[in-house]
Amino acid sequence: MSLLKITNLNKTYPNGTQALVDVNLELSNGMFGLLGPNGAGKSSLMRTLATLQEADSGSAFLDDIDMLNNPQAVRQTLGYLPQEFGVYPRITAAQLLDHLCILKGVANKNERRELVDYLLQKVNLYEERNKSVKGFSGGMKQRVGIAQALIGNPQLIIVDEPTAGLDPGERNRFHNLLAEVGEEVIVILSTHIVDDVKELCTHMAIMNLGRIVYNGTPADALSELNGKVWRKTIERSEKEAYQSAYHVISDKMVAGRPQIHVLSEVNPGNDFEESEPDLEDVFFTHIHALQA
Amino acid sequence: MFFEFFSKEVITALKKPMIYIFIFIVALLVFGAVVSDNVIIGGVFGDVKKNAPVVVANYVAILNIFGLLFATAFFNNAALRDYQYGFQEIMFTTPISKSDYFFGRFCGAWLLSTLVMLGIYLAFLAGAAIGPAMHWIGAERVGPTPWLAFLNSYLLFVVPNMFFAGAIIFALATQFKSTIVSFVGTLFIIIGYIVSLNLASDIDNQATAALVDVFGIAAYTLDTEYFTPLERNTLAPAFSGYLLLNRMLWFAVGLVILFFAAYRFSFTTKNSKQKKSATKSAKTKAAPQPLAKPVLSASAQHHTGWATFWSFFKTNALSIGKSTTFVILLLFAIILLVSNLWGGFEYFGLKSYPVTYKMIDEISSLASLFVLIVLVFFSGELVWRDRDNHLNEVVDATPHHSVISLLAKTASLVVLGSVLHLVLILVGMLYQTFNGYTNYEVGVYLTDFLTDGFVLYLVWGTFLVFIQVLVNQKYLGYFVSVLFLFVLDILFSIIQVESKMFLIGETPQTAYSDMNGFGPASTAQWWFSNYWVLFGLLSLIIAGLCWPRGLNRSLKDRFATSRKSLGKSYFGTLGFLGLAWLAVGAFVFYNTQVLNPYKTSKEQERLQVQYEKDYKKYENVPLPMVTDLTYYIDIYPAERTVRAKVDLLLRNNADRPIDSLHFTLDSDDPIQLDIPNSKRVFFDEKLGYCIYQLNTSLQPGDSLRMVTHYAYAAKGFENEVSNMSVLTNGTFFNNSDILPGYGYQKGAELSDKNKRRKYDLPERARMPELQAECSELCRKNYISEGHADWVNVDTYISTSADQIAIAPGSLLKTTEKDGRRQYHYRLDHPSQNFYSFMSADYEVATRKWKGIDLEVYYDRKHAVNVDRMLDAMQKSLAYYTTHFGPYYHRQARIIEFPRYATFAQAFPGTMPYSEAIGFIVDLEGEDKNNVIDAVIAHEMAHQYWAHQVIGAEMQGATMLSESFAEYSALMVMKQETTPLQMKDFLKYDLQRYLRGRSSESDKELPLMKVENQGHIHYGKGAVILYALQNYIGEDSLNLALKNFLEAYRYQDPPYPTSLDFMRYLRPQVPDSLQYLIKDWLEDITLYDLRLKEVACTKNSNGKYELTLDLIAKKTKAAPDGTITEVPIADWVDIGFYADNEEEELFFQQRVYLDQENAQLKFVLDSLPAEAAVDPLRLLIDRIYDDNSKKVVLVE
Repeated sequence: MSLLKITNLNKTYPNGTQALVDVNLELSNGMFGLLGPNGAGKSSLMRTLATLQEADSGSAFLDDIDMLNNPQAVRQTLGYLPQEFGVYPRITAAQLLDHLCILKGVANKNERRELVDYLLQKVNLYEERNKSVKGFSGGMKQRVGIAQALIGNPQLIIVDEPTAGLDPGERNRFHNLLAEVGEEVIVILSTHIVDDVKELCTHMAIMNLGRIVYNGTPADALSELNGKVWRKTIERSEKEAYQSAYHVISDKMVAGRPQIHVLSEVNPGNDFEESEPDLEDVFFTHIHALQA
Repeated sequence: MFFEFFSKEVITALKKPMIYIFIFIVALLVFGAVVSDNVIIGGVFGDVKKNAPVVVANYVAILNIFGLLFATAFFNNAALRDYQYGFQEIMFTTPISKSDYFFGRFCGAWLLSTLVMLGIYLAFLAGAAIGPAMHWIGAERVGPTPWLAFLNSYLLFVVPNMFFAGAIIFALATQFKSTIVSFVGTLFIIIGYIVSLNLASDIDNQATAALVDVFGIAAYTLDTEYFTPLERNTLAPAFSGYLLLNRMLWFAVGLVILFFAAYRFSFTTKNSKQKKSATKSAKTKAAPQPLAKPVLSASAQHHTGWATFWSFFKTNALSIGKSTTFVILLLFAIILLVSNLWGGFEYFGLKSYPVTYKMIDEISSLASLFVLIVLVFFSGELVWRDRDNHLNEVVDATPHHSVISLLAKTASLVVLGSVLHLVLILVGMLYQTFNGYTNYEVGVYLTDFLTDGFVLYLVWGTFLVFIQVLVNQKYLGYFVSVLFLFVLDILFSIIQVESKMFLIGETPQTAYSDMNGFGPASTAQWWFSNYWVLFGLLSLIIAGLCWPRGLNRSLKDRFATSRKSLGKSYFGTLGFLGLAWLAVGAFVFYNTQVLNPYKTSKEQERLQVQYEKDYKKYENVPLPMVTDLTYYIDIYPAERTVRAKVDLLLRNNADRPIDSLHFTLDSDDPIQLDIPNSKRVFFDEKLGYCIYQLNTSLQPGDSLRMVTHYAYAAKGFENEVSNMSVLTNGTFFNNSDILPGYGYQKGAELSDKNKRRKYDLPERARMPELQAECSELCRKNYISEGHADWVNVDTYISTSADQIAIAPGSLLKTTEKDGRRQYHYRLDHPSQNFYSFMSADYEVATRKWKGIDLEVYYDRKHAVNVDRMLDAMQKSLAYYTTHFGPYYHRQARIIEFPRYATFAQAFPGTMPYSEAIGFIVDLEGEDKNNVIDAVIAHEMAHQYWAHQVIGAEMQGATMLSESFAEYSALMVMKQETTPLQMKDFLKYDLQRYLRGRSSESDKELPLMKVENQGHIHYGKGAVILYALQNYIGEDSLNLALKNFLEAYRYQDPPYPTSLDFMRYLRPQVPDSLQYLIKDWLEDITLYDLRLKEVACTKNSNGKYELTLDLIAKKTKAAPDGTITEVPIADWVDIGFYADNEEEELFFQQRVYLDQENAQLKFVLDSLPAEAAVDPLRLLIDRIYDDNSKKVVLVE
């Protein structure tokens, strides 16, 4: 059972952007979802944990490894799939994985071959192992990405926005893979897609403007909102009026017409219906709370 | 619509900084050259102005090549902009006309490309104004602004070149839509140009090359080849000659390419590349059984240094090796090498055997250029590879060591560069094979590769990676790299830093010689190599510390991150390498600066100036003459050591007593003087001038003895080898090298006119003026400069047991003692005080001819031409003894020396002859006389002309030795050669003269007043004297020479002048031809002969009547180059060829012409194919092509 403990982590970029503001988190084995809009600081946090970026202050410990000061030790036990996972030209999937295996310290040639074959099979790319990865589709590349993140025996796996650009089938396959490995190690899944978290994670945090604005289980988050979310389908022209009158947490198109969700302790009346809260409501509630 | 596209293209570019930056770069380059005294390109010399029309045109023509790179950017951009921005689908769905789009964009880019070149003209304007004002150059170096040259060079070079190149680039860009392909097109154009340059190196191909060269440079060079300085200063490039032809040709080709491309151009976007592997998947094996997750053994992990290195090395090497850029560069290098080899090694129409050193020279220079391009380009690619492919985060999050990946990447870079070099070596060996040369010296190739190539690649590979890492911005990194590669050298040369310890990767250059191997620079090269390799590794290790692991950008964060993951061993290595580098550096410094200090060229120059200013006053101090010398020389080849003691006998030949002796000792020269009954009263340590006062004056006719001691021992190693005459195998030095400079040394004066002006030195005559009454001046000859006349020489010389030592004269005794060979030579007849001493491991071929020993001392690898050399010596002696008189030595020796110099030289009875000429020339199938025979005949002739009779030190002196030797050699050749073959040989002499006069730095003088200038005494002398014997008869000229020789042979002063020779020549010339003496020897005369029309009819008795219309002009050139036409009144040959190849001259007649336009009639028995005026090319005519015409029979 591993434990990742982040304390008072801060990072400000030279241009003044506050990417991380007093971030505190504690997580253990299992899937951990990190939700947040674009630019919330998710990637900064992921990269800092993946030893790719220096923090200004604070600390992060993986069990007894001082992550910020002993990057080599972290890298020994890290699986990382960045937001952008590119590949070299003129190289096959097997060659690429083999190269990365070596970098991760798998020195024995036979073991490496077995491992590469195993991983390729696991991500269902065994058939394609001798093809140039450059020609792979987005989903196939992403599967190569997850394969490389599983090399060795990582205790900490970080995946940054992995399902963007995947079709539903690819996405399901990807989720299954993650779920399988997530039982034994810490998996941090950073995403702005609420459904990813809903489907996979036992714990979650929501980030916005560099801060953790919610930390808990998805179930707790939902129960907090129970009976407080109301929805109504309206005309486009009425939008502004509703926004000033109610605490609107989201509006989206449903069957061609705007549907708004509002937060209210009591029934706001005016033909609003009670709505079963979902994670999206949680997400918007926390983000708007901060901005308001 | 056309105008819309055109103006949009131009205006958009004008609003961006790029074009102004380009113009600025071009202007800066040219400006620097115009205002600098040290940059001499574009044909600036002597009186040619810095902004002379021809200079402007040359700059424009040459900078066009660089301009191509800018042009590629414009044309490529114009063609591909819409595609790069993904705008093509929007653009091409609008209703625009295809041709308006195509030509509008093209013409816009065309105009822009030519605008960049305007920077050249701006620089000329600015340079001409600012240079003199700031006193960077003298005002007299600048002429009036050559507006016409500006305009014409723009129209003749810039516009058509950019059009042609643009057409190709635009065609490629629209067809392939790839920037790389466009740049490859540009490179191909440049390669084409270089190939045509190679073509032009052979005199017979110049006209072809003038047409083939796409830039018109070869054409313009050919048109202006024989321009005098005056013409260079006044004539703008003209719309005529080869240049016009060339321009029309390539403009037309460009048009065809452009219209073809326009025809092919289509708005519909082609499908992007098909997936190659679509069908392959069926073949792959069925999926195996699901695998169990492998268990990794703990021990196998984390000890992966080598595996990591190897994996990085492999993937990076493959990525370079498979890249288009690398493959293209490799192919280019191969094409260039083959082209260079094919056209190279030419020597007077003969080719050398492709011996290894010739191949190495070609390969090394080409390889280093291409490998450096590879290193610059791929250092950026490799450093940025992970980031460019968006794999950096994954890779950086793995626990590998940055330093290992950096080492592996650099290693792959250096290895791929080396592969390029090695491939070229392979091509070189294939070339040798094709030429039937099978002495493959693989070891030599590899040694040269390791010392000359690999070290350079390693140093620059590591250093460029270091730059890329430190700069951490790819394109800025390229910029800095190029700065270091080129600008640093220039900077250091400006601030007078010549130590190779500062010039990155620079090591003392070795040159491989079959005789002497890699030579004396090898040791220095080894140490410098270590110094630089350590420097390279050190910079790489430091780069490891700055490596941007992760996403850190600032240097501070990069350091912080690296420090965490770099352990003790890293810092240990860093410290160790640093210490090792410092230690080796200190050792190199000690050897090159402390043990063997040297002067920079500027320091040397200042010393020369000081010497002249301080001691010129002693130039004419009377000194006793050297009459007898006895040498005791010990050569230790293996140690590169020579010790020499010389006993000299000096005699006062002046008419008054002499009380002091003057010497000039080189300050680093190890010479000691031992002069009895005297004391040193003056010694200038810096300049080496010293004066010895005699205790009792030396009375006229009295003699004194003195002894000098010389010792040279190479110690340690040098920045640059200063003594290339004492060698392990092939020692070759002159008597003057081991003797002190006697008196004031005029030869040490600064000779360059413009430099003298800079140092406020008076103008310096190259030689005293020719004068008939020259009592004092004629007491000096031009070789010993009045310090000796005819001397007796005795030599006791020793060397190691495996070598033969040679001194002038007959060998009297050889003994072998204590593992050393000792020889005693004595000169058979008093000679000029000018001879050499040599030692090497020689083979000797001998032949006895009429009591004279003919000997060739050669290296055993070079036996192939030795018999022919003996033949040539024999033939020469046979002719000379018959026509000129006896030979006064008992032996004639040809002695080979290493190729560090390429000449042959005649000393009394001995003729050192460079390894590079003659010994390795391929004479197979050359049954006729050739240049090797000619060189030998020339040197043999010097045994008469120079060593029996020698001219007074005065204008015209070298005519009496060099021109006569050249003439004598021609006469030896002529015996077995047809007149047409002689013409074929003499064209090289004519070219030498005409080219030489066109680069005259001072003023041109007639043959009779030649001032020791090769192009006149060899080139013109050969042409004139050959023509003269043709006109007055070989026997008459020989008789004149013989009579002259007999009058002055081995005579004490006064020495003869060219005027004295005239007294012997005149009686041998018939009255009708006396004008030749004036025209050819006393004046500078040029002819312009042209055959305008040839009409041919057949008459009733079956004979052919030919009517020739010709133009015959004669001009005289004044020393400053001005030309005046004089009336023609000359005998000129008319000839008819049976064939169009001008191989059979079946009719020839000498006719008298006294009018500029002449019509001549001839009746011939058979129909000629061609008619020619002056068919044997006896007269000096700059344009010879118009002397002949095809004959067409009019029925």
